[in-house]
Amino acid sequence: MQSLDIISVNLWQILISLANLTILFLLLKKFLYKPVTKMLEARRAEIDSQYSDAQNAKQSAEAKDAELTERLVGAKAEAESIINEAADIAKARGDKIVEDARATADGIRRQAEEDARLERKRMNETIKEEIVEVSTALAEKMLEREVNADDHKALIDDFIDKIGEN
Amino acid sequence: MLIGAVAPLVVGIILKVLFTPEKVGISISGALIYFTIPMPLQNLPITESQVNSALVIVTILFLCLYFTHGLTVKAELKRQLVAEWIVKQTQSLVKTNMSDYFSGFAPFVASIMALSAFSSLLSLFGMYPPTSDINIVGGWAILVFILITYYKMKCGPLHYAKSFGDPVPFLAPLNVISEVATPISMAFRHYGNVLSGAVISVLVATGLQGLTNIIFGWLPGFLGNIPFLQIGLPAILSVYFDLFSGCLQAFIFAMLTMLYVASGFPEEDYLARRAKKLARLKK
Amino acid sequence: MEIAIGIILGCCALGAGAAMIAGIGPGIGEGNAVASACEAIGRQPECKGSVTTTMLMGCAIAETTGLYALVIAILLIFVAPNMLVNILLNAVK
Repeated sequence: MQSLDIISVNLWQILISLANLTILFLLLKKFLYKPVTKMLEARRAEIDSQYSDAQNAKQSAEAKDAELTERLVGAKAEAESIINEAADIAKARGDKIVEDARATADGIRRQAEEDARLERKRMNETIKEEIVEVSTALAEKMLEREVNADDHKALIDDFIDKIGEN
Repeated sequence: MLIGAVAPLVVGIILKVLFTPEKVGISISGALIYFTIPMPLQNLPITESQVNSALVIVTILFLCLYFTHGLTVKAELKRQLVAEWIVKQTQSLVKTNMSDYFSGFAPFVASIMALSAFSSLLSLFGMYPPTSDINIVGGWAILVFILITYYKMKCGPLHYAKSFGDPVPFLAPLNVISEVATPISMAFRHYGNVLSGAVISVLVATGLQGLTNIIFGWLPGFLGNIPFLQIGLPAILSVYFDLFSGCLQAFIFAMLTMLYVASGFPEEDYLARRAKKLARLKK
Repeated sequence: MEIAIGIILGCCALGAGAAMIAGIGPGIGEGNAVASACEAIGRQPECKGSVTTTMLMGCAIAETTGLYALVIAILLIFVAPNMLVNILLNAVK
């Protein structure tokens, strides 16, 4: 078996090795770089989608949080307004009760005054009557004469009225 | 897949064992010629280096298939990480040493590195490393030269011709020589490094054999034929010349390719020209 | 005839040996490069990676002249004697 000289330039061998390198370049591009790059792209896309998902989730959580806070604030305000309203109502009712009570008391007092006045009037009447009777009887007894009772009575009334006025 | 990657190596070793002639003494020669094909201009001898580089290509192809089959987005397999690492490393290497315009260069750089490194590492298995054949490395260097010229031509032939008279016009011949010297120096650098390693390994091995014969030759029987001194030192030399130097030369060849192509490409002129052309097209 | 062939072989070997004197240049150059790289790493240890890469590139380029000499020496040892002896034999015929 023959062997080549240690340095021997051969045009065809050079061309073949040039073609070999080109072929290997194409092979590597097709079988190593293309699938790996595709996979890296897919990974990047997945990571991006996950990021955007997380972003969306965060945004929705924030929105929900804001909504809840708003609702809480609203509820607080509502509670306050309800309390205020209740307090107002209670105050109004209390006022009304006091008013009623005062009115009732006034009524009672007025009634009592009326009663007292009527009583006094009746007492006066009674006293007048008694005095009339007493005086009539006294006069009958004293005069013992036939005097027209009606005239008498008028006379005495007049007299007593004068007394009363005095 | 791994079987497909290992099989070419086994085939190469078997071929080597079958066809290697018995050596007598020091013999440093080129690749074995298996057979010769008659061609115009020059006959084409199919040699060990041709066959071995073809086997290396098959090995790399099967390794690629092994690394990339069953790729998933979540990267469950270790071999997928290896594939991703290779791709990302070469891409970042190209991006740092060249500009973004050359991002498609990553597979080319990777193929130069893989072919060169695997070819040099074949000598670990005792096979003939194709990189110690000037034709193989010369072919790569010429491809690199074509690429350099192609990217220099991007701005038009006139711009290319003008670049030769760069500092002063009468230096043009020197510029032509330095242009032509680029592929030659790249080819000889790679070839010389691998070949010098092989030559030194052979010289040391034969020298140690002679030394063993002198020192231990008096031992009776087959003991005298055992090359005691050849046990340790050639392995260390092999680690340096085959493993370290082979990988380093592959890296340097790829780096020089990137640097030459990137420095030869007048990117700013090209971009300005393209912008002008686009503007003219819009009108 | 034998003397002529002997002279050819001896001169080829002498030429190869003389060619390898060129190994001095890259040796000195690479030594300088590595020394400067060590200095640079000592000054700025954080730049170790890029300094090492640049140093290896520079060493590879500095090595080129040495490798040209090596190629010429190999040509002189392994290729030139056969060629020259063949030329001589053809001329004698």
